[in-house]
Amino acid sequence: MLGPDVAWYLIVSAILFSIGTAGVLLRRSPLIVLLSLEIMLNSANLALIAFARLHGGHDGQIFALAVMAVAASEVVVGLGLIVAIARKRLDLDVDRLRVLRG
Amino acid sequence: MIAGAWLCLLAPLGGALAITLLGESSSRRTAAWISTLSVFVAFGGAVASFVGLLGRDHEEREVVTTAWTWLATGSFDVGLSLLVDPLSVTMMLIVSGVGGLIVLYSIGYMHGDPEERRYFAYMSLFVFSMLLLVQAGNFLLLLAGWGLVGLASYLLIGFWHERPAAVAAAKKAFVMNAFGDATMALAFFVLIWQTGTLDFETAFEGAGGMSQTVVDLVALGLLGGAVAKSAQIPLHTWLPDAMEGPTPVSALIHAATMVTAGVYLIVRAHPIFELAPSISDLAAGLGAITLLVAGLVALVQTDIKRVIAYSTMSQIGYMFLGAGLGAYGNGMFHLLTHAFFKALLFLAAGLVIHHLANEQDIRKMGGLRRAMPRTYVAFLVGSLALVGIPPLSGFFSKDSILASALASGGYGQLLFAAGLAGALLTGIYTFRLLFVVFLGEPSPLVHEHDHGPAHGEGPWTMTVPVAALAVLAVVGGWIQIAGIWHPFGEWLDPIAVGREHLALVEPTVTQDYVTSALAVGLGVVGIAVAWMLYGSRKWAVPRFAAVQETLEHKFWFDELYDAIFFRPAVFVSGLVRGGIEEPLIGGSISGVTLGAREAGGALGDAQTGYLRTYALAIAGAVAVLVVVFITVQ
Repeated sequence: MLGPDVAWYLIVSAILFSIGTAGVLLRRSPLIVLLSLEIMLNSANLALIAFARLHGGHDGQIFALAVMAVAASEVVVGLGLIVAIARKRLDLDVDRLRVLRG
Repeated sequence: MIAGAWLCLLAPLGGALAITLLGESSSRRTAAWISTLSVFVAFGGAVASFVGLLGRDHEEREVVTTAWTWLATGSFDVGLSLLVDPLSVTMMLIVSGVGGLIVLYSIGYMHGDPEERRYFAYMSLFVFSMLLLVQAGNFLLLLAGWGLVGLASYLLIGFWHERPAAVAAAKKAFVMNAFGDATMALAFFVLIWQTGTLDFETAFEGAGGMSQTVVDLVALGLLGGAVAKSAQIPLHTWLPDAMEGPTPVSALIHAATMVTAGVYLIVRAHPIFELAPSISDLAAGLGAITLLVAGLVALVQTDIKRVIAYSTMSQIGYMFLGAGLGAYGNGMFHLLTHAFFKALLFLAAGLVIHHLANEQDIRKMGGLRRAMPRTYVAFLVGSLALVGIPPLSGFFSKDSILASALASGGYGQLLFAAGLAGALLTGIYTFRLLFVVFLGEPSPLVHEHDHGPAHGEGPWTMTVPVAALAVLAVVGGWIQIAGIWHPFGEWLDPIAVGREHLALVEPTVTQDYVTSALAVGLGVVGIAVAWMLYGSRKWAVPRFAAVQETLEHKFWFDELYDAIFFRPAVFVSGLVRGGIEEPLIGGSISGVTLGAREAGGALGDAQTGYLRTYALAIAGAVAVLVVVFITVQ
């Protein structure tokens, strides 16, 4: 098999996922939160493709394509929301957008 | 003939539907005429059935026509079937004939009422219901008609719904009748259980195989329904209050047709009553008690319609007496003549009330003879017929019942004596009313409403039915003359199953004549007493405080029922409300709502509105799930 062992890919994927999670949890700008979400999705893609290579099947790769499509749509919706919020001249700060609470 | 019967049944229903559906797009006058015409069409159908039956042999005069199977459950099914036989055709003719005249009269009487259309729709509905009751080919359909006439009666008593007294009277009538409906329904359940059918013929045949107790129960249940509907003691207190309705309603429902349904039921179910002689005797006894009590109470009433209402109760008492003793033909005969003269009395009283702008208190009336000479004659004819003065109709029918009582043994003779006393009372109270209202000097109220002779006594729609009923009240009795000819009795005979004549008792000619002499004599004495007390006023009206009070309180029946049923019910309801409803049921429900609200508040605190809280919750939950899955594997 060419290239490094599958474990390395998984380690990279886990690191990416942790970075993404930390971004979602810690950053306050919705734009960055969205970016962090994309990083998490792509870490999952990386893991999927690594396993696909390991098993020699195509299912994981096809599934990664589907995830990309979903991620693209999600970005569209998310960016649309952010633009709408910016147009209302509200603060782009997730900690201030907390009208929906108990 | 069958088409005639269906036409008779459905025409008034069509009338009621047409008035309802047309609504405000028809004028009030159109609605009134639709209703009148529909009832007259029904009368045409009844006449067609009558002619059709006459053309048949005696034995074949019973036709059952089934439109479709109405209910089918296992081996028990009930058809939507009509029975055309002499008994039902007689009732159809009375209901649609007298009903048509009274609806015609209503056109004049109700003119100008803002809710005329509703009135006429109800009237048509009533006629349909009553026809369903008398034409029903089985007990279940009869019960449906029975309930519908109760509904129509409720709606019409409470027609003037802005009057609290009318609404209360309507409720009272409905509740009293519901009691009778319930006992009847129980009797039908027993019949289904024992015979598996509600068809008249088969149920009567099956009744022969039931034990005495069961037959007694069935008969008692039927009697309960009959007593409630016909306002006999002890379920009579609703009828006088029902006079709160418009006068034509009192004439149609509470004099001529619906209240006589109990008599019809006894005659229709006579095989069952014959199997339960003790219950038949009870029916006759209740009739005798009612005719005496109602006659006594009528002596002191001051409302013109209430006097006639008590007289109606009293006359239905005679019919119960006859039917209970097995003189079915005579009971039905009195039902027929009573429909004529009592409707006449009510409609004539309606003319008086109309003339005096809705005044019903006879103490304010007097000397109306001069202002309303023709109404006076009509009222006189009705009164004479009611007292039973020959040759008016009441003479033939009442005396035939009394003669049958005389001919049926010791118990019958006791009832005969009660009936004779009732005849005396009838003479007094009827002519008290006539003398007080029409004779003497005109009262201030009458002067006030004296519009002169040119004004007339009412529109033609009101006077024509009164005139027609006056003629019928005179000649109606001539279809059966004791000892000479009995076409009415023979006409009804085919409903007797398995014997030659319907009646169980057949008085001899001597008994007939003795009865007539006694009854007419007592009636005349009654009239004479009324003349001395209220006409010439030569005697002072005797007053005994205790008696007077008892009669004015109608023998304390209302007070008694109030004490026995109403007050304990209110007391128990109060207890249950304070002891169970409020602490247990209300408390538990408010506890549940309070708990749910508090739990919701606590959960709401978890919802901070911070995105990161939610993301952390999701991430934490996923982590926990992952750990769980891994360890479980």
